Amino acid sequence: MKRRDFLKGLVSTSYVVLSGASVLAPLNALAAAGAKKDDGWLTTGSHFGAFKMKRKNGVIDQVIPFDSDKYPSDMINGVKGLVYNPSRVRYPMVRLDFLLNGHKSNTSQRGDFRFVRVTWDKALHLLKDSLDEVQTKYGPSGLHAGQTGWRATGQLHSCTSHMQRAIGMHGNFVKKIGDYSTGAGQTILPYILGSTEVYAQGTSWSLILEESDTIILWSNDPYKNLQVGWNAETHESYAYLAQLKEKVKQGKIRVISIDPVVTKTQKYLGCEQLYVNPQTDVALMLGIAHEMVTKNLHDTKFIEGYSLGFDQFLPYLMGESDGVAKTPEWASEITSVSPEIIRDLAKVMTKGRTQMLMGWCIQRQQHGEQPYWMAAVLATMIGQIGLPGGGISYGHHYSSIGVPSSGAAAPGAFPRNLDEDQKPIFDSNDFKGASSTIPVARWIDSILEPGKTIDANGSKVTFPDIKMMVFSGNNPWNHHQDRNRMKQAFHKLECVVSIDVNWTATCRFSDIVLPACTTFERNDIDIYGSYANRGLLAMQKMVEPLYESLSDFEIFTRFAAVLGKEKEYTRGMSEKDWLVKLYNDCKAANAGKFEMPDFEGFWKEGYVYFGEGKPWTRHADFREDPEINPLGTPSGLIEIFSRKIAQYGYDDCPGHPTWMEKAERSHGGPGSNKFPVWMQSCHPDKRLHSQMCESAEFRETYAVKGREPVYMSPADAKQRGIKSGDIVRVFNDRGQLLAGAVVSNNYPQGVIRIQEGAWYGPVGADGSKEGGAKVGALCSYGDPNTLTMDIGTSKLAQACSAYTCLVDFEKYKGKVPEVSSFSGPIETQI
Amino acid sequence: MKWIINIWRTLTKPAKFLTLGSVSISAFLMGIIFWGGFNTALEATNTEEFCISCHSMESMPYKELQETVHWSNHSGVRATCPDCHVPHNWSRKIARKMEASHDVWGWMLQTVNTPEKFEEKRLEMASREWKRFDRDNSLACKNCHNYDSMKWESMSKLAQKQMKRAAELDQSCIDCHKGIAHKLPDMGTSRAPELIAQVGSGESAPQVEQTYFSALTKPLYFNEKTDVEAGTLNIATKVKVLETKGNRVKIGIDGWRKKIGAGRVIYFDFGLNILSAQLSKDAALEEGVMEVFEEKEDPLTGLKWQRVEAKIWTDKDYLVTDLQPLWDYARETYSTSCSVCHTQPAEAHFDANTWPGMFQGMIAFVNMDQDTQALVQKYLQEHSSTFDKSAH
Amino acid sequence: MSASEMNASEMNSVAVVNQARAMVYRLLSSLFAKEVDHQLLHELTGEQAQAFLAQLASEPAFKQDIDTLISVLNTLKTDKALLELAADYCGLFLVGTKHSASPYASLYLNETGSETPLFGEQHQQMVQFLKQSQLQVQTSFPEPADHIAVILAYAEHICLNSGDAEQLKFIESYLNTWLGNFAAKVTQCDTGTFYSALARLTQSWVTSDLEGLSQTTH
Repeated sequence: MKRRDFLKGLVSTSYVVLSGASVLAPLNALAAAGAKKDDGWLTTGSHFGAFKMKRKNGVIDQVIPFDSDKYPSDMINGVKGLVYNPSRVRYPMVRLDFLLNGHKSNTSQRGDFRFVRVTWDKALHLLKDSLDEVQTKYGPSGLHAGQTGWRATGQLHSCTSHMQRAIGMHGNFVKKIGDYSTGAGQTILPYILGSTEVYAQGTSWSLILEESDTIILWSNDPYKNLQVGWNAETHESYAYLAQLKEKVKQGKIRVISIDPVVTKTQKYLGCEQLYVNPQTDVALMLGIAHEMVTKNLHDTKFIEGYSLGFDQFLPYLMGESDGVAKTPEWASEITSVSPEIIRDLAKVMTKGRTQMLMGWCIQRQQHGEQPYWMAAVLATMIGQIGLPGGGISYGHHYSSIGVPSSGAAAPGAFPRNLDEDQKPIFDSNDFKGASSTIPVARWIDSILEPGKTIDANGSKVTFPDIKMMVFSGNNPWNHHQDRNRMKQAFHKLECVVSIDVNWTATCRFSDIVLPACTTFERNDIDIYGSYANRGLLAMQKMVEPLYESLSDFEIFTRFAAVLGKEKEYTRGMSEKDWLVKLYNDCKAANAGKFEMPDFEGFWKEGYVYFGEGKPWTRHADFREDPEINPLGTPSGLIEIFSRKIAQYGYDDCPGHPTWMEKAERSHGGPGSNKFPVWMQSCHPDKRLHSQMCESAEFRETYAVKGREPVYMSPADAKQRGIKSGDIVRVFNDRGQLLAGAVVSNNYPQGVIRIQEGAWYGPVGADGSKEGGAKVGALCSYGDPNTLTMDIGTSKLAQACSAYTCLVDFEKYKGKVPEVSSFSGPIETQI
Repeated sequence: MKWIINIWRTLTKPAKFLTLGSVSISAFLMGIIFWGGFNTALEATNTEEFCISCHSMESMPYKELQETVHWSNHSGVRATCPDCHVPHNWSRKIARKMEASHDVWGWMLQTVNTPEKFEEKRLEMASREWKRFDRDNSLACKNCHNYDSMKWESMSKLAQKQMKRAAELDQSCIDCHKGIAHKLPDMGTSRAPELIAQVGSGESAPQVEQTYFSALTKPLYFNEKTDVEAGTLNIATKVKVLETKGNRVKIGIDGWRKKIGAGRVIYFDFGLNILSAQLSKDAALEEGVMEVFEEKEDPLTGLKWQRVEAKIWTDKDYLVTDLQPLWDYARETYSTSCSVCHTQPAEAHFDANTWPGMFQGMIAFVNMDQDTQALVQKYLQEHSSTFDKSAH
Repeated sequence: MSASEMNASEMNSVAVVNQARAMVYRLLSSLFAKEVDHQLLHELTGEQAQAFLAQLASEPAFKQDIDTLISVLNTLKTDKALLELAADYCGLFLVGTKHSASPYASLYLNETGSETPLFGEQHQQMVQFLKQSQLQVQTSFPEPADHIAVILAYAEHICLNSGDAEQLKFIESYLNTWLGNFAAKVTQCDTGTFYSALARLTQSWVTSDLEGLSQTTH
């Protein structure tokens, strides 16, 4: 018995080899009983919807929509895949070379190299040491902790608030202004209509359904975009869309979708499409306006009483100032819309009640301020602003805008700012002549060209010399433009910190990576119904934080403790205390108006219902009395010509809406002979930006050969020998990516769509596993921002211009790399 | 200081917070003695029944009390109706009070005999009680809760700060602690209890020729008597008292107006859309109300502006001498409420005329009553880059 | 052969053998459970462990991989060297899936492969096994129960507490079914040599152990 002898020999060598504890322990009866308690349905919510969950043996098992959500998004099916994703950030990690060499590490390895696990304590001390070093060496201008975005839902654990309060207790830092979604819109519209408009409650759908004769969906796909909300979404807008569908069918409301692409909404409603060449909407609007003036269709009385500067705009429109009359014929040349249709549109829009519903995409392009401004001018010329079912909205595709608000007070949040009497450890506010706040999309410019001064919204911004970035629940390696340029910028950073749930590309390009738990592993509260503010939702913890992940509250409480400021951070209150406080504050704010039970009652029930709101018309008060209820513009009136903007003297944003050629434009525009195809990177149908892309099973419901779909016209596909299911290389001079072809009649020739939020997965330029960190890498999954242009919309907003992007594509014949987006950092030899 | 109100609101729930108020033994005994005395003295008139006869009908105030720490707590001290609502130095005043109260209650009997009617009158009734508490500096509270015997170290740092400040001034408890024994009345959208708790309700007797600031948006009147409103005075507006009569003061509002419409809106300064007052059409045209001075054209809009002074009446309440507490409240509210979704822009990031557009476009998820909204907007405008040239 | 037929010496002999097997499973589990730190290194390079490893290496099927392990352990003289090995560990087992060799049975047993959600079927099965044996995963080891270190530790446990047939069934079904693919993935992804040697050693050990078990149970 050789084996037996061999084994006996092993024993004779030693009885005790290892003293370390086994990974197994005796069953803890109490814990086992606890885990068995899978109880009933728990309530929680997310951007994708409010929902209920049931556990099995302590693991999330079933997910069903919240009772009142009659139009749930199938995105909630991806929730389990988020929580139990194999690429969760499981432990605090530090890039090895950073651990060894600190701020002198080889930064070119970033994004493609080795990490080691460290303890929370070690990681948080490393974070503090790095912050110390940057504050000491460079002061607050060296640190940018202001890049923030869509967090997970929940008012207590809102990750950006925690990060900024905690980092703020250490020292001051560079912050941002604006956001990627609506950067141009929210900057221009206060000059024109006196509010950002994009985030304001809009005329109630019920009034639109009753009063509108015509609805113009301009570059707008609400049926797609209303699936996600800023708070726990309950999708009430869809009930109105269903009614609208019925009215379209009955011929009671005419809906025209002005868009190069057949949208999901158009298909759902069964409405008309008016094709327009990409990026030429302003020309189309000018053509319509010209026709209105020529045929005297515009409402001169409204223009006179409620707006300023039409006189200064008219010479441009009629061609007196620049020799080019913006006639339907002129517009037709640019837009490919026939002059007859433009003339007809002018007639249709001024006959009966017309509601314009603008999408956000057209302001995410070069001169993105202009289509929003010109659309406001058109609405002014129609003269129905402030009437139910008339006028213009910039938000009906977003977060239940248009569903009347209940009027209840929403809960507050864990404070983002320091308390009044608190001071940071490094309290210098010396930004060394640089700006402390920069336009959100210009941070890569700032890293690459510190000290440069640019124009922005009427003032000057001088770029700070950023050396360190801290991100929390934020993935700019999704939403920023031009990956290769970002890589160059990141080589200049000394330290990058990312706190997240799963290994996003941003985590991969970081030095210190800290694991946050998902929103389903903590208790929190939120409103449900987004802008409808339909009620308050208990976000009940489904499972304990997985691995060594922690809630944002816990992460930054521990960090504050490292700073010796734990009590200052928490105000001496526990997570539970805060939860109860946020609830009770909300209850107090609603006292006498909305009945709310005590906290325990609320938590047990899972929600509080605030009731229905009253239908409401945007700008009705202004229309009723513009003197007493002026708009927030300089004049208090709609500003068709803005003297204020004019006096800035910007060549790319003059004093009235203007058609300007783009740096790149398809269908005969600049650059189209080299790269003939316009790529649109709209908000995804099956994600919230990049959230949920990592949920593998759900991703497989839409991915093509494991890649992000690229939608294209049959003509373009045929020309390139591509059929649905092929792997396609999309490229321009800025980068290249692989995606999976979907050939569809919804797309015209010269237009492709790759939805943003597709996780960046760089591999070597030739498709080999190595070289993903290098400039020129190939994105193996299909992140459209590999190809987009990193320029500001104009000197006014300096917002992102992702939609000004030309590409070409071909059937991919090279070595097909594995998708590398969802697998954490890739180790390669450099 | 929203938090202080929030903290005391929590007083109504967890019993452990009662120690915050530190019920001293002496006060406790006083309560017992008082309670016994009260019952004995008023047995004949069946006052207990008398209270309930009215308040049990709608049963709300009594039930509401039963849910609070003033009813049930671990120390077993209970405050009942008369503890708070009948003056404690009653031996001298009881006769007069009872007489007055009888009238009031009799009137109430007819007017608040349904929950709806009661809710309708709640604010009015509460306001009367608050005023009474104010007059005797919350003596009813202080019979049990004593500033001197409060245990500072067991309070949070912020609570300490607030309570110590209040103790120094021997501030009336009800200034901050409203709605602790009964539900807070619906203050409507026009009143801002938290703001008023912080800045107070103004001078009791404004002086002629002195300047004040409005602590709320206030109605304006044609004269010292009429209830016909002549417009509104915006919050945090500087006014000069020209004349006082009873509960009214005649004020002068300096500013500029746009030469459009009836020129009813008075702004803070030339070319700045910082709202000071809005007059009704009639008031704007009324002889002697609006005095017009020089005229200038605003180059940014092409609109003509005129310097004006309006002389008009308002109630004498909510006029404060110091603007700073209003700004402090606004700053803190801005910092807390506007950072819920995103980092709030620095005050000086925009100019005075840009702020209204930015602010109005971002308040969908912000909980502010209309006074507070108006105040915060004005705060932002008056601390904007138009005034603060040190902007980044 | 049933227990009742065994004499005392034979019984003792079986116990000794199982103890040895348990010890090997324990060693393998420990090395997969976490990075080699100073403590573990000290123990592994100690006299007793070296003798143990030398005895293991006397089996030709194990020799090459044990030699690799020993030689790597002998190079770990500095913190940096330990960190490099820790980075190998991290890259293989802690960060992801596709380009690493995640140590979870479920990723190798399901059609969806490397992107199978964790805490799934295999995790649940292991939890049940552990529970039957009055065991659970240590709270300080916050990993799904189908982590290879847990499965190896459970193998250690059953070596000492269960009959051969039961052992054979468990090791065959819950370890051997995926170990080959796992070892291949580790070998493919490892930038160093330590963990690929460890994975191969585990595989050859399990192969040989299963052979032995099948002999005793037939």
